[in-house]
Amino acid sequence: MSAGLLSESVLMSSAAQARFRVQAPNSLPRAIKVVALDPAGEAVVRRLAVSDWRHAAFFSVATFTRDLEAQVASADLVVMVAGPGGRAEAAAVIGRACSDRRVTTTALVVDAASAPEEELARTLVQIRPWSLMVVIANSDEYVEDLLVALRA
Amino acid sequence: MLRKEQNDLLTQTGPGTPMGQLFRRYWIPALLSEELPENDCPPVRVKLLSERLLAFRDTQGRYGLIDEFCAHRGVSLWFGRNEDCGLRCPYHGWKYDVTGQCIDVPSEPDESGFAAKIKLKSYPLIERGGVLWTYMGPPEHQPPLPEWEFCTVPGKQTFSSKRLQESNWLQAMEGGIDSSHVSWLHRGDLNNDPLFKGAKGNQYNLNDARPVFEVVESPGGLYIGARRNAEEGKYYWRITQWVMPSFTMIAPRGNHSVHGHFWIPIDDENCWAWSYDYHPIRELTDAEVAAMRDGKGIHVKYVPGTYIPLANKTNDYLIDRVAQKEGRTFSGVQGIAMQDASLQESMGPIVDRTKENLVSTDNGIIMARHRLLRAVKALVDKGITPPGVDPVHQKVRSAAIVLPPDVPFKEGAREAMIARPDVAPASV
Repeated sequence: MSAGLLSESVLMSSAAQARFRVQAPNSLPRAIKVVALDPAGEAVVRRLAVSDWRHAAFFSVATFTRDLEAQVASADLVVMVAGPGGRAEAAAVIGRACSDRRVTTTALVVDAASAPEEELARTLVQIRPWSLMVVIANSDEYVEDLLVALRA
Repeated sequence: MLRKEQNDLLTQTGPGTPMGQLFRRYWIPALLSEELPENDCPPVRVKLLSERLLAFRDTQGRYGLIDEFCAHRGVSLWFGRNEDCGLRCPYHGWKYDVTGQCIDVPSEPDESGFAAKIKLKSYPLIERGGVLWTYMGPPEHQPPLPEWEFCTVPGKQTFSSKRLQESNWLQAMEGGIDSSHVSWLHRGDLNNDPLFKGAKGNQYNLNDARPVFEVVESPGGLYIGARRNAEEGKYYWRITQWVMPSFTMIAPRGNHSVHGHFWIPIDDENCWAWSYDYHPIRELTDAEVAAMRDGKGIHVKYVPGTYIPLANKTNDYLIDRVAQKEGRTFSGVQGIAMQDASLQESMGPIVDRTKENLVSTDNGIIMARHRLLRAVKALVDKGITPPGVDPVHQKVRSAAIVLPPDVPFKEGAREAMIARPDVAPASV
């Protein structure tokens, strides 16, 4: 079959055509701020903060809320990290500030593999109203993979 | 994004590759039972996990899945004669049984024992629920037979189809757990498709185009919950199941059948999209089966005599720009399956994930990759059996359910997410 008889989709979806894709960067960096809501979250944040991240910054609740407006204003995404049953009430304060500025929020509940239902529920009640995405992870390893996936 | 080496690892499933080792720990669907409809019927070429194989059904009804090529001169046994409990190569008459054992070499004396020294690679092939399943891994690690509910209910309660998808398995599977695309790409189908329309849950969907998502690790993979507002402050949840490596199950609607997919690599640039529909407690109606055969719901119409979708890349998926402009379809492509496949094939055979820009609503995809990478590493480094092999992990259901606002859906829908005989699905 000559090329002239091939459909547009056949021609353009081949592996050979992938070589001609534009190689220029297709996005600008996003500023991702990771905030620990409770001691379980702080352990994760402390561990991750020592790595070499280009576009992620790490905070305790106290440091993040000290200058909340400015922190949110300079963020593209706020990731809140907590453990099941922890005191995550700061999610409301941070979430409201993010909502006002239309900054996306994600909440991660880590180490949830064997958490009692009531503890998980206590955390979810605090974070759900303020998170556009909630992830309940068995361990805390996921946080690093998430940040890499988001180009942090 | 994924680094290139991670993308390569997850997308390459040929023999000896890490992901290939993982896939080879599961029973995977190989053919529809209808492809080998009777004893001594013509053999069927099968390519799975980058291995070229041949399936046949012998005189006694036994199924075989063997190396496609004759050990003598490399002829394809697809040309073989399926006769007298074996497949005979038409070139020089060498004959093989369903285990790949050569049982006759006409040019050699019987007493020479030469035939006994010839054996083609073979894999077990068993029938379950209208599907022929194979296990391509180490015999010592062969797991119990598949226990997916769609293949264990009575035959009149279930319907399966398959279609060729010209892309790597992973980008196809990721579409199956990407709940956020449904409100866009598939809008319009909820109220029109005979296999979806009329459910109360559709109104929750249509009233709230921006659901909030929760991703929860499950024993076999993930629960992916999409949350929308319901009455009296409650939440309407649609919970998708993903079981490793490539089983997905979509939340049901009303009293319609439950459905989902398997995404099985043919090679690194093609996969089979398997689609099943079943009802746990009732037979499918004639109208439902007719609709499925007619390509409604998650199924497709075929090029006659093949499992190639009628709308495919050679005809630009029959894209209808007028329908697109008028809003009858969002992308201009008709039907849920081909709406997905057309876009996933447009990415190229293996999408370059180093260039993607994921967002919060992609956490289901990010978590699935995270779990796959961990499972591959655990298998290769320590020999740990991956999630999803255990039949308990396979006895799952998706669910559509209304829950109070403070209840983790994993707890509130715990019973609903377990497959139990004669128990109705949780559906709205």
